[in-house]
Amino acid sequence: MSGVEPGLPEMDDAVRTAFRRLLLSLADSKRILGIRYSDWLLGAPSIEAGIAASSMAQDEWGHARLLYASLKDFGDDPVALEHDRQAAEYASMEALDAPFDDWARVIAGAVVVDGALAVALRAVAEGGYEPIEGRISKMLGEEAFHRSLAEAWFRRLAGSEEGARRLKGAVEEWLAPTLRVLAPDDQGHRALVAAGLTGSAAELRARFAERISPLLELLSVDMPEPLGLDDWDEGRGRGPGHPAEEAVERARGDLNRALFVE
Amino acid sequence: MDEIIYDVFTRKSRGDTLTHVGYLTAPDEAMARVYAWTTYDEENWFEMCIVPRSAIIPVNRTDGPFAAASHEVSA
Repeated sequence: MSGVEPGLPEMDDAVRTAFRRLLLSLADSKRILGIRYSDWLLGAPSIEAGIAASSMAQDEWGHARLLYASLKDFGDDPVALEHDRQAAEYASMEALDAPFDDWARVIAGAVVVDGALAVALRAVAEGGYEPIEGRISKMLGEEAFHRSLAEAWFRRLAGSEEGARRLKGAVEEWLAPTLRVLAPDDQGHRALVAAGLTGSAAELRARFAERISPLLELLSVDMPEPLGLDDWDEGRGRGPGHPAEEAVERARGDLNRALFVE
Repeated sequence: MDEIIYDVFTRKSRGDTLTHVGYLTAPDEAMARVYAWTTYDEENWFEMCIVPRSAIIPVNRTDGPFAAASHEVSA
């Protein structure tokens, strides 16, 4: 990474590396989340729910594109980030590695993953990194609708035995790894906190807990501790593994590369 | 699932007439708000609101979508 653009806030190398990691993690998560939502355009419980999933997919892809574009300021080529990386290079959250198999997992993903992304984005906006501050406030406006949909559906599914069982399975699987990505408390994250670019690990976890605890209570699920850092991939800001190849092929648009013009 | 019909009204700019643009079905108000916003998103609306169809009181018609039997008045 080189070539700080004129007019951009000054950062030392450790902070730049950590901030780039955070923005790429957000962008990749939003891109893959968009794919996971788009799978439910057809097959959702109602036409309206399918349209909402499609709309959320479009929002996530739009947000991802803006975040990838913002990485130009860190010496990246956004086109290469979007179209040339292998699955193992993706920094998206672990909960998104496999498709959402049923509607309960779509809703659990919207609560846990989309919720954590919204908390992380708000913290970045509050950190005052000017080049993307304004864009994030528009994203958060759209995210308010995702939250309304997710919470309404979560409450509804939690009201039936089968719905609650499925939600619980997904939530218990995803909470600990998602908390770790949201607030890893590693060297990189601490560098960002010291630079005032995001909230402390404790603060981010508290905000996330405040947001989703009323929903977890419906399932009698307690907020777990985040996973430890033993198998933490510090470079990508996530645990081992990667999104399924098929999702990455779609994210890159492999089948249409012959037509790719930009 | 018990679905409720909601009618959707929008205005494009401040001062425009509020216009009926369609309807949707949803189990409750929270979901109806999201569905309205994601389904009728063809414009950058200045205002959008939804009304449960059961709250619409017909005045002069006894047929059509808004003519709920409960509101009919006999002569």
